[in-house]
Amino acid sequence: MIENNRLFSEVGRESLWKRYIKDIPDDGYFLTLSCILGALYPGSEAMLPKVYDLLGLNWGTSPKPESGWTCCSGIAYHGDIMPIEGTLLTVARLWSIAQEIGVDAITMSCVTSFGIHCECKDLYEQEPGLKEKIDRLLKQSCGREFEIPKHILHISDVYYHYRDQLRDNFMKFQLIDEKTGRHLNVVDHVGCHYSKLFPEEHSLGGSEYCEVLSGMGTAWGGKEIDYPERRHCCGMGFRQCMISPNRAGTMASVHKKMKSMSPFQPDLIITNCPGCQVFIDKEQWAIHEITGEKYFIPVLTYQEVAGLLMGWDPYEVVGIQFHTVPVEPLLDKIGIPYDPSESWLGANNRQLY
Amino acid sequence: MDKFDLKNQAFPVQETPAEDYPNESQNCIKNTKNLPIWFQRDFNLSKKDREIIRKYLDGLTDDEIIEIYYQMRDQKEPWDGGYFYPNIQILFGTPFEREKDRREQKIWNEKYGEGNEVVAWYKGAKEKSCVWWLENHIIARHALSASGCMSCGACTALCPAAEFFDYNPRIIMETVQEKNEDAIIQLLKSDTIWYCTQCGSCKPKCPRENNPFGMISSLRQLSQIKGYHVYSVRGRQQYAARHLWGGNLWNRACTLYFRDPSWEAHRDFGPRFEKYFKNQEAYFRSIGACPDMDGSLSGRKVHPETLHEVRRLWHAGGGLYMWELIEDSAKKQADELGITIDEYHDKVKTEG
Repeated sequence: MIENNRLFSEVGRESLWKRYIKDIPDDGYFLTLSCILGALYPGSEAMLPKVYDLLGLNWGTSPKPESGWTCCSGIAYHGDIMPIEGTLLTVARLWSIAQEIGVDAITMSCVTSFGIHCECKDLYEQEPGLKEKIDRLLKQSCGREFEIPKHILHISDVYYHYRDQLRDNFMKFQLIDEKTGRHLNVVDHVGCHYSKLFPEEHSLGGSEYCEVLSGMGTAWGGKEIDYPERRHCCGMGFRQCMISPNRAGTMASVHKKMKSMSPFQPDLIITNCPGCQVFIDKEQWAIHEITGEKYFIPVLTYQEVAGLLMGWDPYEVVGIQFHTVPVEPLLDKIGIPYDPSESWLGANNRQLY
Repeated sequence: MDKFDLKNQAFPVQETPAEDYPNESQNCIKNTKNLPIWFQRDFNLSKKDREIIRKYLDGLTDDEIIEIYYQMRDQKEPWDGGYFYPNIQILFGTPFEREKDRREQKIWNEKYGEGNEVVAWYKGAKEKSCVWWLENHIIARHALSASGCMSCGACTALCPAAEFFDYNPRIIMETVQEKNEDAIIQLLKSDTIWYCTQCGSCKPKCPRENNPFGMISSLRQLSQIKGYHVYSVRGRQQYAARHLWGGNLWNRACTLYFRDPSWEAHRDFGPRFEKYFKNQEAYFRSIGACPDMDGSLSGRKVHPETLHEVRRLWHAGGGLYMWELIEDSAKKQADELGITIDEYHDKVKTEG
């Protein structure tokens, strides 16, 4: 029914919303990383343990280097060179390490990884005998044992969970234009493998009304922007972006999104998927070169947005110099100070350019 | 719980630091301009250079190529409170690394091959019909619900690949559902299945709770198991994928190596990326990452025992078997085309 021009009453909305809310424990997290995020935005990866510590969380990862963290093999699975059994075993090993340190919430910085962990968990629930088979193979291959963890969390879930605490206790700035007081227009781009694979079980808000990033954006002072192609994939596509002759498909998808969001005058785009972050940021250059259309909307990971708002050094900690679309105009709007002469400093403050 | 060692600069336990930077005679090459051509990632090598590469690699025994590789990989120099492994960047993605991987994985398959139940299942599937696969492969079974596909086209309406390529997931689901062996084989030999971006946008939109992108993933596996992928330009790109992602997994326990997106191959990333990429080590260290170093954050070198453990898993999980199949299909087609396997690699990576 339509009440006050809304499709559902508040009570109805609340009741529906409960279907799309996941249980996020306060801590006891196992941290796994991404094989692409750190390559192109190393600050986003390096800030994760800093934030976990800042929040005083109980967390851990591989307890010793000889049984260390590895990639989940997700790109190899979606790139079709790894059978599902190989990926189930790789993930089972990571779960086994989490079990060793006594936690049952897996947190990962990669959306592909998140989708893979969720898919493994779903397969165990749906396929009789699969757990016993992978148990046997894991034990035979490396002597490990594993249990299915209770929680699979993307680290953006954790940031969402603590969004108010981060703002109230640590943030020095907000997503507000310091000169005019205007709330900045925030576009969220949620990775497909976060919200579309298991929208009811694992995504905050499902696939259409996913709130994980927009919730952070509005809590930190921004204004949520809706636009027609909001949920369109960035086109990364694994084999599309990484095998050069296929990359036009990726670029075309980014172009479609940029054209669609541009009339709404976004001040920034927030992402939670490393692949989306790379291509929405970097293809804006090629789109400009090819079409002459100049979007140049800064694209930041949620870690970078939080880091900047907490006043962490834009170059030394957050690493905005690694972006293709310059982030400095956004810093000017918010009033975050920075020294451009430090943008290309390397180790030991050596000036590289 | 103990706080993890992401902040511990002594991760892992340090050995006695090397006194001097290893010299070239010890297979540690500092000046990359003088590299032998089997360490080149250049796609524009002459026929003569390619023959030189092949002659050199063919002249090495299995033991020799494996020994040289690991000697080079493990050369290290003290840097910034830890160790830097300068040769990893020289070895990755080269004809030398690919040849080492082929030989080493063959040895692994022989050593651990007996009694591998996953491989036995896939070997059996290779000899059976495509329809049998669709009725038995775990991913295919879960991708098509009992109520089937009703051809509404919701999956195709919002598919990013369908928008830009000659591709239609609805028709693929129909073909699968009709269980016509010849039509399925034709599909497996075509470019069509390789256009899917595996984004999963189709899954939540299906009113029958089917999973088209999962079905396509299963079809792609089948195409490679049957050797049909080499019939299409997009399908035979899997040979490059097998060495890109498979090489990174096998040697660095990660499907992507932080130097993969080189600026030369990613001019579309713009001039700022070029600036960054040319001084990646220094930027990595300035921000706390570990480029080609023992460590935990970006770009780290994985501990050999960790690598060994996951290699066992990828063998047990059928990964090595899949790579062997892709390798065999590529070799066969390269021979038919009268080109070396190195030329074939560069051909499939750049055509289309």
